[in-house]
Amino acid sequence: MIPVSVITGFLGSGKTTLLRSVLRDPAYAGSAVIVNEWGDIGLDHELLETSEENLLGLANGCLCCTTRGDLARTLIDLAARRRSGAVTYHRVLIETSGLADPAPILHTLLVDPTIAESHRVEAVVTVVDALLGSETIARHPEATQQAMLADRLLLSKTDLAPDTSALEAQLAELNPGAPILRAVQGAIPPDMLFASAARPEALRHWLDATVTPTARHSTGVETISILREDPIPGVVLPLFLEALAEHAGEKLLRMKGIIRVAEAPEKPAVLHGVRHVLHPIEWLEDWPSADRRSRLVLIGQGIPQWWPARLLEALEEEARA
Amino acid sequence: MNPPALRALIADSLILWGVAGRVDIADAGVRITAGDLVLHVTQARPEEAPMRWWLISEARRRPAASMLGLLRSLRYALNATGAEPARARVAAPS
Repeated sequence: MIPVSVITGFLGSGKTTLLRSVLRDPAYAGSAVIVNEWGDIGLDHELLETSEENLLGLANGCLCCTTRGDLARTLIDLAARRRSGAVTYHRVLIETSGLADPAPILHTLLVDPTIAESHRVEAVVTVVDALLGSETIARHPEATQQAMLADRLLLSKTDLAPDTSALEAQLAELNPGAPILRAVQGAIPPDMLFASAARPEALRHWLDATVTPTARHSTGVETISILREDPIPGVVLPLFLEALAEHAGEKLLRMKGIIRVAEAPEKPAVLHGVRHVLHPIEWLEDWPSADRRSRLVLIGQGIPQWWPARLLEALEEEARA
Repeated sequence: MNPPALRALIADSLILWGVAGRVDIADAGVRITAGDLVLHVTQARPEEAPMRWWLISEARRRPAASMLGLLRSLRYALNATGAEPARARVAAPS
């Protein structure tokens, strides 16, 4: 499986600077890079020092809307060239346009069967301008969406903004589970950004930060947590996920969870989803911590706080009857 | 599932779907009133297995084998738009 990471962030936040820095790291120098630019003349790709055949530009439209088909075709074509030996790369980095909503991009990566069979989404990294981030988030819903869907948030230009506490508090409300990292001129070890968000330690951080006994409320975004002491029957999982996708649909911005399945309690199931699109369930070899409760965190807008837990309880009761 | 728990889940579902309505405990289930429409949800009797639920309107009785099916039927009966039938699959750990 080819790992794919998405670098997003509002216009001018420092995505290309970050990408340039990442590509200087020997472990990432051979990445295939897909750059999406907004406007008739693409400039960002000119700034990237990487081999011509590994760099693809998607101009004339935003990756999250008009050029989603181009993204799919590009990835499929790249993978075919990789198989034939025409190009060599070990991962794909996608830089979105500054106005892109990452959710449709993730949707494309996850639901296109040709892409999904050979690619694995590793992480969504959102770059936030430390100086202008607060105002940008307040004024532009795209920036809010980019922050909410991040696996990791990267504050850029921190040398220009000595005090980022207010911005960090704002980001923590939008996306309590995403670690907030800092970089000047994109200088940060790439593994801190792109290590799989489904790795046990990353998952544990996310869950520890987001599992709270009650919902949080901020800017219309709620975090809903479900804790279960008892293992959950395996048959309940697909029913619950189907119901979530069907009924919470577009209101569900993000979901992550670690589930103790009754039939395999020693191997936790990791759930990971964006809106109505669910990643394939991953099974860990072991629990990431001593806490073996099932924990599920939903971030959404307009989902009644107790609806997911009530639904899960009803389905569990049916399974046990 | 007892009637208060059923009422709570369905009342939350109406909010989720954006349906203005009222849910009351009635007989062995709940009564849903949304505008002129009145629906009843009752648990199926053990001998009606594998059906678990009945959604009853003036025109018909619709069975459901799970809460997932009941919610889908209820949403359809309430003409609440936006539902996206979905399929999820869980693979066993190797």
